[in-house]
Amino acid sequence: MKTMAIVIRDDAYDKILTPLAFAYLTASEGTQVDLLFVNWAVKALTAEGAAKLRMDGLHAAEEPMVRAGVAKAGLPTEIYDVIKALKATGCVNFYACSLAGAIFGVNESNLIPEATGIVGAAWFLNEKAVKADHCQYF
Amino acid sequence: MNDIKTTATLDTSGKCCPMPMVETNKAIKGLALGDILEIIATDVGTRTDIPSWCERTGQTLLSMTEENQVLHYYVRKER
Repeated sequence: MKTMAIVIRDDAYDKILTPLAFAYLTASEGTQVDLLFVNWAVKALTAEGAAKLRMDGLHAAEEPMVRAGVAKAGLPTEIYDVIKALKATGCVNFYACSLAGAIFGVNESNLIPEATGIVGAAWFLNEKAVKADHCQYF
Repeated sequence: MNDIKTTATLDTSGKCCPMPMVETNKAIKGLALGDILEIIATDVGTRTDIPSWCERTGQTLLSMTEENQVLHYYVRKER
């Protein structure tokens, strides 16, 4: 697999871990991974938003246990640190969906430097998702 | 497999997916062709991940053993 595209919608701490872990796995093998953050997940591409990510719903009370497990697994426990680790592979691009950015308050002034930029969904879907060897939606 | 002469050892004990594979990829990049990497792991997911990674990336899995829930892999770098 040479290229993979991932669309991330859910911003709950535990739910965002899986696509990031998959991206880390494939990028470590040299696969080019392009991630589009849509809906609430776009806030993960701001330092403040990434720091505020929490587990929600039925499992919210179990967040300390999950964070301890993440640390034991060897991953950084903060999502922003995971993003930095992915960026360091040199094979990962993070894109913010322009619609999501407009709705949820993410713009070029608060976008983290690890993000490649704010893009239209049509561009990502046609230029990245359709052309990728594999595409995932979370 | 005591007769295998390892070049480097990567101990991923205690770590879980994706880190054993991330670290294995990093470790193999630092080796020369023909070098042998010993990987120690406790993540049972590596039982499938490492053999398939070897096949996919063209490395040779010389040996895979498990004792007391600790897995040892010996991988020869081929490319």
